[in-house]
Amino acid sequence: MNSIEVKNLKRIYRATTGVIRRTTKEIVAVDDVSFEIKEGELFGLLGPNGAGKTTTVKVLATLLIPDAGEVRVKGLDIVKDANEIRKHIGFIFGGERGLYWRLSAIDNLRYFASLYHVDPEISKKRIPYLLDMVGLNGRGDERVQGYSRGMKQRLHVARTLLHDPDILFLDEPTIGLDPVGAREFREVIRNLQSEKKTILLTTHYMFEADSLCGRVAVIDKGLIVALDTPSALKKHVSDLSVVEVETFGVAEEVVEKIRNLPFVDALSVKDQDQRQLLLVQTKLGAEAVPDVMAALDGMRVGRVTVREPTLEDAYVRLVGGQV
Amino acid sequence: MKTIANNLRLFWQGTMLSYIALFAWLRPTTYIASKILMPLAQILFFTFLGSYASGGSNVDFYVIGNAIQITAVSGIFGVTMSIGGDRWAGTLPYLFGTPANRLMMFFGRAFMHIIDGALGVVIALMWGALLFGVDFSQTNMSALGLTILVTTISTCGLGLLMGCLSLITANVMFVNNTVYFLLLIFSGANVALDTLPNWMQAFSQILPLTRGIASARILIAGGSFSQVAPMLMSEIGIGLIYGWLGYMLFKWFELQAKRKGTLETV
Repeated sequence: MNSIEVKNLKRIYRATTGVIRRTTKEIVAVDDVSFEIKEGELFGLLGPNGAGKTTTVKVLATLLIPDAGEVRVKGLDIVKDANEIRKHIGFIFGGERGLYWRLSAIDNLRYFASLYHVDPEISKKRIPYLLDMVGLNGRGDERVQGYSRGMKQRLHVARTLLHDPDILFLDEPTIGLDPVGAREFREVIRNLQSEKKTILLTTHYMFEADSLCGRVAVIDKGLIVALDTPSALKKHVSDLSVVEVETFGVAEEVVEKIRNLPFVDALSVKDQDQRQLLLVQTKLGAEAVPDVMAALDGMRVGRVTVREPTLEDAYVRLVGGQV
Repeated sequence: MKTIANNLRLFWQGTMLSYIALFAWLRPTTYIASKILMPLAQILFFTFLGSYASGGSNVDFYVIGNAIQITAVSGIFGVTMSIGGDRWAGTLPYLFGTPANRLMMFFGRAFMHIIDGALGVVIALMWGALLFGVDFSQTNMSALGLTILVTTISTCGLGLLMGCLSLITANVMFVNNTVYFLLLIFSGANVALDTLPNWMQAFSQILPLTRGIASARILIAGGSFSQVAPMLMSEIGIGLIYGWLGYMLFKWFELQAKRKGTLETV
């Protein structure tokens, strides 16, 4: 049975500028998006910045009204039955905001419990249980303003589970977390999945989607460009190898020169402090290395490796080189 | 029955926790200073200025007018910050994503400011008695207490409306300051209403505070409750109208934010 059904969803933002001559600019954030999520499934939504991930989550969380299409959560219409849907869903948007920093974690949870009409007797037991579950046991009396980013994120998880929702929307929940915090957070998500919650996870991190999600949709410019299991998506690039070249201060013209080499299928650049990691997707494998190095003639080059493609490489191919 | 209990709990917790959450920056010393020194400063300024201008014949007029007007600090600024604080804290999407009763959520934000505002008025009147010898010997104290409460509620009604503006514009403090100073004139706190031009008198009649200040002056001068009861009825009615308009604006804002995607725009 499907918990979530999205059919031909469209959402446009309109920005008006000017005082006397007012002009309205339309930005199509989501354009004809359709997908379904089964009960108990952990579904990933991947895409570059501005692809339409957060807009889709906001529509599902009843915080945005769609311009067109049909969206159903537990069979209920997202616009007509918004208040009923809110009883069954929980959501988190990435970042630290959205909590009362001057209140303790327990007071934050008490207030949100009352907003979700959780019986006081239940919330008395549930709040310590949730704090324990997210690793904040013993810190509940502290004001949130003293919490680290990771602790705030985990408190958001506790907040969203107060009313024991069946469905969770997690919008880039690990963004900005340090590696240890992100790993702990992923463990929390795994635990939620083991409780048979239906979860929609949006993320920038491909390994996160690869390790957590049963199915993944890749969204780009408001359209779903691929929807499958992570292993099936990887098959999109199974004929390719990835040449990774560590460079220092590579110029944009050089990147374009490599991109235009006839054997290059896709190229993306990852900035890492002073270094740039060029990820060249090619069918040639190691044979492509001499030509890539020739294009980098005169540049300072570090490590060069050739490896099998990952979900991230499949993603890069699907969204045309944007990371 | 369960729904009523849920809503009352939401009202009470919303009242207490939102007050603590958004006003905890007022440390005890700052809070006490704002409750004791600020009313004193306003009363001293306007009483001496008014007495000088009018030849010192009517000190009580200025003391009582400004003491009651003090409630606008909590009613306008406090309530606005209580509602607008959610926008600044980024909690609005999380509030609007809950199934909570919006009426309870909305009016719960004003409750503590009613108590706070009334306390401010009592302190201001005590300053009036101590420094300017305002005489309460002929005053029906319970009627005066009711007048303070009613006036504070009606001012918080206007505050709720102003608070909703803080959900739409980032410049609400400018609007609040303007309203606060307009109340100093139009409510009759510092200028006798019958000396104002007709259009100003008409405007003063649609504001909270106007009838509350007039009622307090009558009661402190020894007037009876029956003399002021009709004015208090009008005062609370005006407050409820402003509060209801604020609630409608709150609902409208929620709908518009969902249509336009402006829920997190500051």
